[in-house]
Amino acid sequence: MKRRRRNSKLKFEEPSDQSPATTAEFSFSLTKIAVSQICQSIGYNATDSSALNTLTLTTTKFLQSLAELASSFSNTANRTEVNLFDIVNGLQDIALSTSDCFPGGSTVHDIESHCLIKSAVLRNLSDFVKYAPEIPFAKPLPKRERDGSFGGDLDQAPVSRSVEVKSVPAWLPPFPDVSVYSDRCSKDRSDHLWENSDSVIGREIMPEILQSKSGGRLPVRRDRVKFKIEQRDWHSGGDTRLERWRENNDGESGGGVDVKKKIRQGYTYCAGEWPI
Amino acid sequence: MNHGQQSGEAKHEDDAALTEFLASLMDYTPTIPDDLVEHYLAKSGFQCPDVRLIRLVAVATQKFVADVASDALQHCKARPAPVVKDKKQQKDKRLILTMEDLSKALREYGVNVKHPEYFADSPSTGMDPATRDE
Repeated sequence: MKRRRRNSKLKFEEPSDQSPATTAEFSFSLTKIAVSQICQSIGYNATDSSALNTLTLTTTKFLQSLAELASSFSNTANRTEVNLFDIVNGLQDIALSTSDCFPGGSTVHDIESHCLIKSAVLRNLSDFVKYAPEIPFAKPLPKRERDGSFGGDLDQAPVSRSVEVKSVPAWLPPFPDVSVYSDRCSKDRSDHLWENSDSVIGREIMPEILQSKSGGRLPVRRDRVKFKIEQRDWHSGGDTRLERWRENNDGESGGGVDVKKKIRQGYTYCAGEWPI
Repeated sequence: MNHGQQSGEAKHEDDAALTEFLASLMDYTPTIPDDLVEHYLAKSGFQCPDVRLIRLVAVATQKFVADVASDALQHCKARPAPVVKDKKQQKDKRLILTMEDLSKALREYGVNVKHPEYFADSPSTGMDPATRDE
């Protein structure tokens, strides 16, 4: 009998020596600790390993199904972030299937009053928080990395994830290092224009043409345009009239001819002088 | 008119209760750590920056586990005690969570746990619970 006991002891100590290999195993073993703490608080002295594993697995499934329900509710409402309404709706759905856990789950909360606390599920949780003793987790957890896994080298984690790109959601992977793409994609300066490259035939002509254009200005001289705003009486229509003089300096189209025009769409194109 | 006023007051009270509950979540530390819950939530596509909502999920899960465990405990206590030879053993009676109780408790929550009837978890399975030493 004594020998048997020793064997069983050894058997139960074994799992603690194995360090979890993957993220899933690590999170599962953490959940196992939390579940066993809850079992202890209920009044259990010990658990079978298979029973504890089963309960832990059920817990993770519960968490994930609740998360899936809540996120599906938020996605249906064209949102990416989950809010309280989604969680309560998800809890209501779960409460329907697990009627013992959250009594009153079949009664949907009062929609007319738009108050969530009317939900029996939420009221139960509120009571639970109020009356149940607080059991903090046994050990402090290592800091989490950005990709959602625990542990590992914290120095390598891209903590200062480019602050300037706030538009990129947090769940996307971080950008690659700047050195990977900065050299190739850097914009060429004006003195390295494509026209100046060796692949263009007769590129010697180009600089002369560019110089003659005098810094981006248009070569053709345009007509001068004047506008005048005239306030009319309210009774006679109340329109703002605009007088437009086209002064053709070349005198081709008869300068000094007044043209009245009604403005209908604002002054967006009125770039001339305003002799008010 | 009077009825409208009453309902308005009731609504105000409900709102206050909800705000109070959410505020109490800031101070409450669930047994399941926030980071762990966040990890599982992120796996299912749940994205939320509010700590209170993550704690709400943690509290809901904690309540679920606590309810299942207490149901299993009731099954364990309700089972007829095995024939006791020693008085000493009766005093040493320890409460152990077994698959049998757990599967009964989980069945009430819509989870059907199937396990081989005569599969031994450990060398000590089937022995007197009092003599076990886990």
